[in-house]
Parts: sequence; structure tokens; C-alpha cells
Amino acid sequence: MRFQYLLTQTVQGIRRNPLVVASAVVAVLVTLVLVFGSIVVRWSIDQDIGRWDDNVRVIAWLGDVSPDQVFAMQREIAEWPEVDEVVYFSKSQALEEFRELFADQPALIDVVQDDPSVLPQSLRIKPTEVGNYADIQNRVAVYPGVQQATAAGEEIDALVVRSNRMRTFAVGVFIVLGTAALVLIANTVRMAVYARRDEIAIMRLVGAGNWFIRVPFLLEGLVEGVTGAALAALIVGLGHKPIVQMLSTVADPDAIVVPVQFLLQQSLLVLTFGAVTGLLGSALGMWGTLRD
Amino acid sequence: MIRLQDVTKVYDGGVVAAQGVNLEIEKGEFVFLVGPSGSGKSTLIRLLLREELPTGGDLWVAGKHVNRLPAWKVPLLRRAVGTVFQDFKLLPSKTVYENVAFALEVIGRPRHVVRQQVPQVLRLVGLAAKADRLPRQLSGGEQQRVSIARAFVNRPLILFADEPTGNLDPGTSVGIMRLLDRINRTGTTVVMATHDHAIVDAMRRRVVALERGAVVRDQSRGVYEAVLPFPEGRDEEEAE
Repeated sequence: MRFQYLLTQTVQGIRRNPLVVASAVVAVLVTLVLVFGSIVVRWSIDQDIGRWDDNVRVIAWLGDVSPDQVFAMQREIAEWPEVDEVVYFSKSQALEEFRELFADQPALIDVVQDDPSVLPQSLRIKPTEVGNYADIQNRVAVYPGVQQATAAGEEIDALVVRSNRMRTFAVGVFIVLGTAALVLIANTVRMAVYARRDEIAIMRLVGAGNWFIRVPFLLEGLVEGVTGAALAALIVGLGHKPIVQMLSTVADPDAIVVPVQFLLQQSLLVLTFGAVTGLLGSALGMWGTLRD
Repeated sequence: MIRLQDVTKVYDGGVVAAQGVNLEIEKGEFVFLVGPSGSGKSTLIRLLLREELPTGGDLWVAGKHVNRLPAWKVPLLRRAVGTVFQDFKLLPSKTVYENVAFALEVIGRPRHVVRQQVPQVLRLVGLAAKADRLPRQLSGGEQQRVSIARAFVNRPLILFADEPTGNLDPGTSVGIMRLLDRINRTGTTVVMATHDHAIVDAMRRRVVALERGAVVRDQSRGVYEAVLPFPEGRDEEEAE
């Protein structure tokens, strides 16, 4: 009886003002599509960073330095706080690596093999954190015996910047559009309260409980929030691929597959946000109108 | 059943709607609150329903200390009483049956109770045949009967009526008064604010006269106008 009553009231409330309700749902939808979308894109960027993460090395190319000197350098650099480990790469190891990397281009390999001096010995320095590579590079570059220090860092910098931008964007959207969605839901609820004010007056008169009066309005906001969120989750879940691929730095974008589990987890989060927005919006809409 | 002790109500702006009201109403009584417009009749009813809080003093209704009642218990007070207004306050989109059933539904009465009580009370007010009509298809007197049915369907201990005949012609008013009298005979206390002389004089029930928020006369089996040459005399309260 009670449950059915509450449900009927909620449905009636939504039917009473379909356009206003639609605007609230769309506001939630747009907000959460953008937020969820940026979460997914950021995830893929972080994946890219992660791919680099393990491979980032500052390479100190060495001139003609004796093995003893190399050993001493290796030990000293390894003690720097920003350095994780230092690995020595001899000329022959370098050649080996080169052969692997350019296995499909035998002409190149021939050239290198003929003149081993092309590939000098080197120290490969792994930073404790990816972001530290530039410091290490600068320090190593002026180290005696080092001819040149290189690092594949700029790409990472760009990715880190992009990832942070994505986060800022998501937070910004969440605050600005989220507020708009909240206010729109509050508005629908307030209109519903207004439309039912006579009914509410009589409910109070005959002794209906406060929650009995409020719950249909809370449910209305909840339904609006969750509907918007569910649609947003669906849109992002089904449509994120082209955007992620466009923004990825990976050579083969088709290879990027956002795991279903991640999508489901985040969808749950999005639904929760929708629900919370709906309930808060309702509370805001009832504020001051449904006092005792 | 109802007790007011030194009840004072001063509205923002300084309008005094009740001053030092002391009143005791026993179970089963029928009491008229009379007095000119603005004398504080409606304010007393609003205070008793806890639609407003008194500026001073204490009120008890059906064993509840009204002005000390926590907000969440206010609905319980309202369930113990029924209220009828001059303007009926019916929901225009609901039928007679639905209007009455609504009062039970929103306090969570189970469906079988609603199905049993509503037709019964509609028979009591003489509208069983018009259960499916909408309020606008009824006369004013019939609408007031629906409103009384709604107030009484939960079998309240007390029925408050604020000018229930204010919008009705004299003939119709008599019918409404007969109905209130009938309800009173079931043991329900009835408190009715009115300025309808004819009704008060004809019924010969207890009369509490108010003037500028103060009780100026309290008379059992009274009439509307004081019969004494000095209507402002306050010491003529009769013992119950």
C-alpha cells in the first residue's frame, strides 16, 4: 500500500512536467558523459605513461673511458637519490640490442657491424620516478667522461601534462555542470512540490508523517539523477573508443581496449554520483518549502 | 480532553490574537467559539492543531502537551483530531471517495481498513450514492459533508470546525449542524468556531465568547449574544 502509493506519486510527479524533468535528466547526462569520458580518456593516457614508465632511462653515452672509471661512475650515480639503478651497457651489448631492434633492416646492421665505434658504451640510468628524468639528464650531461645524455622524456612530459589537463577538465566540468544539474533537479522538485501544495497541506492536516510527504520528491530527484547517469554510462561505455584512440599516442590505436571491468567500476561510480546529485537536488528543492 | 493555560499569542507586528486564555473542554462536549472577525477564534484552533506555537502559556490536546510536542510527533496529534474548514479544502481532481480515502492512505492505513471505513463514513454523512462524483459536481453543503467525512473517517477524539457553515445558506447549514451533532453524540468532542448567531442560539450548547483574543464569556447552554446588560463582564463563567 505505502510502497505502491509512493511509487505512484513519484511517477505522477515526473509525468506532470516532462519537459522540466527532461532538462534535469539531460543536465545530469551531459555532466556525467563529460566526466566519465574524461575519466576513461585519462585512464588511457595513464596507460600510455605506464607503458613508458618502466622503460624510461636516461642514457649517458660514454667516450673512451676505462672500465675502472666506468665502474666508479656507475657506483657514484647509483647513489643519487633520484636514481633507481644504473646498468652498464658495453659496446657488444649495444650491438646486440641494435640487432634486435633493427632485425628487419639487415643493411643497417651491416654498417654498424663494420664500424663498432658507431655504438659507444653507455650507462642506462633508471630514475626512481619518471618525472625526475630531466634532472638526472642535466646532471649526467656535465659528468666527466660523458659525451652526451639523452632521454625519451618529452613525450612523457606531454602525456603527464595531458593527463593532468584531463583531470582538471573533469573536475571543472563536475563543479560547473554538476552544479547546474543540481539546480535543475532542485527546480523540478520545487515545481512538483508547488503543483502538489494543496495535497501536501491536506496531508499535513490529517497527520501524514513528514517522511511520507518527502519521500516521493526525494524519489523523483533520485530517478532523474540515476536516469541521467545510466544514460551517460551507456553512452560512454559504448562510444568511448574513437575518442580514446584519437587521443592516444600509441602507434596502433586499435590495440587500445579499455577493460570492461574498469568501465563497469567507473559506471558504478557514475551511477552513484547521479544518485547523490538527484537526492541532493531534491533536498535543495524541498529546502524551506516542506518544513514542519 | 483540551486544556489551555494562560495561552497568549502575539503575531509579528504586535497583533494580539490570544491573551491569557484559560479553557478546559471535557470529552464529549460541544463547544462554540464565538466572536467577531479577528477576535482570535481561528488562532485558537490553529494553536490547538499546532499550526502555530503560542507566545506564552501551555496547551494540551488529547493528552498531548501541544506546545512542547517535538516536531516529529506533530502528525500523531493531527491524527487524534479531525479538522473542517469554511472552504472545505477538497482535492478537485479526486472523487468523493478518493478525497476521504486519501486521509487514511497518507497515514498508512492498510487497504482493507480504507475499503471498510470510507463507505461507512460516507453513509454517515449521507453521500454514499455520490462517492464517484468530483467535488465540483457537488453543492456546497455536500462538499462540506465530504470534508466532514474526511475529518471523521479516522475516528478522531476531537473534531475542530472553523466556520464550517460560513459559505453555506441557512438551510444547508442546518443539515451540517445536524451532522456535527450526530458526530458529537458518538462521543467525539466538537469545537466549532462560528459567527452564525442563528445556529448558536438554536443549538444551546456551551459558548465561549472571544474578544480581542480574550475569553469574555464562557456559558453552558449559551447563546451568541450575552444576555446580560454588561457584555464585557468576565466574572460570569458558569460552573460546568
